[in-house]
Amino acid sequence: MKNDELQQKQASHAALASLLNLTLFPGISFIVLLLLYKKTLPGSFDRYYVVLGIKTNVWAAIALFLVSGLMIIFGGFYSPWTWVYVLSYFMFVHSMFILFATWALTRCWAGGRLKTTVLSK
Amino acid sequence: MKYESQGIAKMYFIAAIGLFLGQILFGVVMGMQYVVGDFLFPEIPFNVARMVHTNLLIVWLLFGFMGSAYYLVPEEAERELFAPWLAKLMFWIFLVAGALTILGYLLVPYAKLAELTMNDLLPTMGREFLEQPTITKIGIVIVALAFLFNIGMTILTGRKTVINLVLLTGLAGLAVFFLFSFYNPDNIVLDKYFWWFVVHLWVEGVWELIMASMLAYVLIKVTGVDREVIEKWLYVIIAMALISGLLGTGHHFFWIGTPDYWQWIGSIFSALEPIPFFMMTLFAFNVVNKRRLDHPNKPAVLWALGTAVMAFLGAGVWGFLHTLAPVNFYTHGTQITAAHGHMAFYGAYVMVVLTMISYAMPIMRGKKAANQTAQVIEMWSFWLMTVSMVFITLFLTGAGILQVYLQRYAETPEPFMVVQDKIALFYWLREAAGLVFLSGLFLYIYSFFAKGPEVEVVEG
Repeated sequence: MKNDELQQKQASHAALASLLNLTLFPGISFIVLLLLYKKTLPGSFDRYYVVLGIKTNVWAAIALFLVSGLMIIFGGFYSPWTWVYVLSYFMFVHSMFILFATWALTRCWAGGRLKTTVLSK
Repeated sequence: MKYESQGIAKMYFIAAIGLFLGQILFGVVMGMQYVVGDFLFPEIPFNVARMVHTNLLIVWLLFGFMGSAYYLVPEEAERELFAPWLAKLMFWIFLVAGALTILGYLLVPYAKLAELTMNDLLPTMGREFLEQPTITKIGIVIVALAFLFNIGMTILTGRKTVINLVLLTGLAGLAVFFLFSFYNPDNIVLDKYFWWFVVHLWVEGVWELIMASMLAYVLIKVTGVDREVIEKWLYVIIAMALISGLLGTGHHFFWIGTPDYWQWIGSIFSALEPIPFFMMTLFAFNVVNKRRLDHPNKPAVLWALGTAVMAFLGAGVWGFLHTLAPVNFYTHGTQITAAHGHMAFYGAYVMVVLTMISYAMPIMRGKKAANQTAQVIEMWSFWLMTVSMVFITLFLTGAGILQVYLQRYAETPEPFMVVQDKIALFYWLREAAGLVFLSGLFLYIYSFFAKGPEVEVVEG
């Protein structure tokens, strides 16, 4: 029982760190996620949310920085059209990742896992 | 339906949906006028279409709020409405006054309308969103006071819950802040300053209380989560809404001739404004994940979740995009504002009213949930309207970014109309998305008439 409570607590911390990495404390929260990874066991409930958080944030980094960077490189820094695409894309995709992390956090609070998605596999 | 007087909400909801359709039709006309300047001119000039589009929005949302209050307050207060006859009387007064005002905009030149309605005795006309003749404004105050009296007496003589007290606070604020529309000083800075007391403190202040209480009510009903849990969320959300929203008014005072300190106050407090909307998302996701029952009314759950998500995107994210003074220096009054306005109004207020209608209408028609066909059609309408609104917002955002760059940021800024020509592609795309939205609305209206197999209701 004690173990379940600890897992639930660590899973909540991981889901929250994932959300914070996407919003208020990028970088620092990712380090927290990596530290939590070391504290959890394979196949456990808390490990599931740590891995989900890491995957979410790695994909977010690729989708936000790599793709935006490529848009700027290929579109040209001084072209207004580049900024039309980059800003609209960045805002929308960033919001989607935040919403996904928020949903994951509430699923975790409810004690369940996500239904199968690309990120949660 | 527990109380007979809750049924009064039905007439308010029907009127709201009818006016909503009118609002969207004028929106589509205006969207076309952006790209074909003389479309329907001189019958419907752009300024008139815009006035009708925005005024209908306000009026139908007010109908929606009143209908929602008449539905939820008796149930929360555990008693019949204090004066059902007054609610019916005020409905007809408001509807006739609203219809006459819109007809006045369409059939009489605005200056003539001002003259006919004796605006010179107490001049209040001629300001964006507050274009209504003074006599209509007085009518709105009378209707609002009668409504508040009715709702207030029902609550005060019945059970007091957090939901109906938060709702009452929001509705009282709505009435009080509207009084600033009667203050119309000659000094343009003062005029704008107090004009925002109505416009901002409605949509980024007291309306958030109304929205949060309505959302909380529906979520209790469709998820079966303990009232205590939902009430705690509600306290925190409304506290954050007021802390951020009241001084957040400062983001409208950046460039209107007010002191510089508003740039700091406005930036700091309005940067906090996404918080209550984010909390609403967290709250809605949380109670849906912890639900104790699977309510047969699926569209109501969908609208409730959609409200939380879209309000966060439109009011929270798109508001934050241009709320800091150094950014707003370039973006104010551009299509970025229009993008934010469209998604925020739809996400926060249109959707919460549709959530209430979706939940309450089947019950007022004697069923716990609409039939299966109607539910499927309603959910289709949800996706059509919501996805097209996302596209409208994205197209307007693109138009706005280009407009800012070409008109205000480039080394050789170009004139307004030259830039408008260059962003016409976005306006065409917005118009196409607007037509999809309209088709979604037609589908939504049709869902009330669709026949099909009844859903199984498991009593629990």
